[in-house]
Amino acid sequence: MPLRTDTSKGLALGAPATLYVGLLVVAPLGMLVAYSFWTQTYVAIDHSLTWENYRSAIGDPLVRHLLFRSVWIAALVTLMTVLLAYPIAYFIAFRTERKALWLLLITIPFWTSYLLRVFAWKLILGFNGLLNSGLQGLGLIHEPMTWLLYNEFAVVLTLAHAWAPFAILPIYVSLQKIDRRLLEAATDLGSGKLERFFRVTLPLTIPGIISSSLIIFIPTVGDYVTPALVGGADGKMIANLIQVQFGPANDWPLGATLSLLAMVTVGIVAVGYVLLLRFLGSRIR
Amino acid sequence: MTAETIIELSGVEKRFGTLTAVRDLDLELVKGEFFSLLGPSGCGKTTALRMIAGFQEPSSGTIRIDGEDVSTVPANRRPTNMVFQSYAIFPHLDVGDNVGFGLHRSGLSRKERRARVSEALELVELGGYERRRANQLSGGQQQRVALARALVMRPKVLLLDEPLSALDKNLREAMQLELRRLQQSIGITFVMVTHDQYEAMTMSDRIGVMFNGQLEQVDTPQTLYASPGTRSVANFIGGMNFLPARLHNEGGGTLDMEIAGFGAMAVGRNPNVADHGRNALVGIRPEQLEIAAHRPEGYDSTVQCRVADIAFYGESIHYFVEVDGVPETMTVAVPNYFHSVDFTRGATAWLGVQAASVIDLGRNRDNETQQGEKT
Repeated sequence: MPLRTDTSKGLALGAPATLYVGLLVVAPLGMLVAYSFWTQTYVAIDHSLTWENYRSAIGDPLVRHLLFRSVWIAALVTLMTVLLAYPIAYFIAFRTERKALWLLLITIPFWTSYLLRVFAWKLILGFNGLLNSGLQGLGLIHEPMTWLLYNEFAVVLTLAHAWAPFAILPIYVSLQKIDRRLLEAATDLGSGKLERFFRVTLPLTIPGIISSSLIIFIPTVGDYVTPALVGGADGKMIANLIQVQFGPANDWPLGATLSLLAMVTVGIVAVGYVLLLRFLGSRIR
Repeated sequence: MTAETIIELSGVEKRFGTLTAVRDLDLELVKGEFFSLLGPSGCGKTTALRMIAGFQEPSSGTIRIDGEDVSTVPANRRPTNMVFQSYAIFPHLDVGDNVGFGLHRSGLSRKERRARVSEALELVELGGYERRRANQLSGGQQQRVALARALVMRPKVLLLDEPLSALDKNLREAMQLELRRLQQSIGITFVMVTHDQYEAMTMSDRIGVMFNGQLEQVDTPQTLYASPGTRSVANFIGGMNFLPARLHNEGGGTLDMEIAGFGAMAVGRNPNVADHGRNALVGIRPEQLEIAAHRPEGYDSTVQCRVADIAFYGESIHYFVEVDGVPETMTVAVPNYFHSVDFTRGATAWLGVQAASVIDLGRNRDNETQQGEKT
């Protein structure tokens, strides 16, 4: 039957997206919320609703510690990545004619899988790894450095490397969008290069910095692979605990609760960050 | 001239690789004048302006502002300010902060700065607009903000890069008069770049006409119109009918010529033309030609013509006519008043012209002809 009204056309056009979001976002999220109010009783699930999971999760110092550490590591990763990405994006946007080539080079690490890249860092930083054996071979150190791997540092370094292109691209786009005449106008009005950067370029790229930061921060808080492989004991994050609940511990309701707690925490931190940067941006005169 | 020189360009050139954008530019501007650089796009006028502003360094030659050699002084340390073509209003700042942008390091207190900003906004009739965002402004208002932002710096020279080209026609005409009034009341030297001959003529004290990187003539609008020095200038400013002629006798103040189609006439010598020859070129402005159904009386030359085409402009009507012996179709502009002549396509009519309306354009050079029309 042909579509007759605008309404039915609209519904038909919207259907694929509705279906997609419904099946892949709303349904899993709903299940997660439902599970978080249920209870695991050995092999079966008790479907009566209870706040008990939340009470015990929030009351557990380990959960609070891991959640705090996850946010802390993610914040470090975000800060480091954005600070390193900005000059690279600036170089591509303003200082080179071969933009396409540079952008291509930056995406090269993405041609291999994420897991392989994490393993590559393990090979570089390990006890008998590239760095240690190389430095030993050169006679610069006498015994392998053990502080390189299985700690917070290794997690931050690996994640910062993994996320670099994601940070560079949004900042590059916001730099590229700046009308060059605005920079000339600032110069014309007496600004030197540094003043011009802080009063015109930087405030105009705040949207790019915000999207870079969120793109890195949000998935990093919940990252599971990197801390598991290079994090060691004091590099573990909240996602590792969640994995344990869904795996070995077989306590899905608690796992669901932890996931939702992590989501809410990320949400609060992200909104606070956006508001803070916007406020700082508006203070620049 | 007794007035003080404010800008002096001598032998200024700008080369980009093999392309010479501006060649051998000599120019002296007087304090308080409204000067326009006029020319087709790509003629080098914007490059010349950007060299005065300091955005581009001349490849050779010197630029002096108020007696000081600024050729290598960067833009942020020159006593010039610019109104950009697209206004370049900072989108992250409100109107007040845009206008006050350059006062940051002026040593003025916050209160004094605020007073200067509101004074500048009053000047461009935007008093009280301080807290508006840039994206809440119309094109005309953005133009005023850009103007206030430059004037608040009290520059020795204000540079304007096609300042009105982004405005619609009515607003543009109103702004032409307003800019002119503003310039006269504050007395700062204005240097404007434009490709619009009417804009240049209505606003400027003097106009420099540029073609292919070269300054061809610097004069008042009246002189440029009455005595253009080259065919390119004559062609660019106002409409012009070009006619080949033979120069028979050059002596005294007049030239005895045999003009194609119009016959023998004594044409006044053009003081801006140096080179005369037997092969001569003259020009007649379209509005200086009389068109009538019968042979008009009291003219130095009359000739029959055929109306090939008609264009109606509202305030005037243009007839495109063919005259025996004249290679190109001629344009006749007639003001449209109620008893105005009215011909149809293909009609036969008469043209009349006074010798005083014929402009001597010197030697007829074929290569110059091509150059003038290419741009």
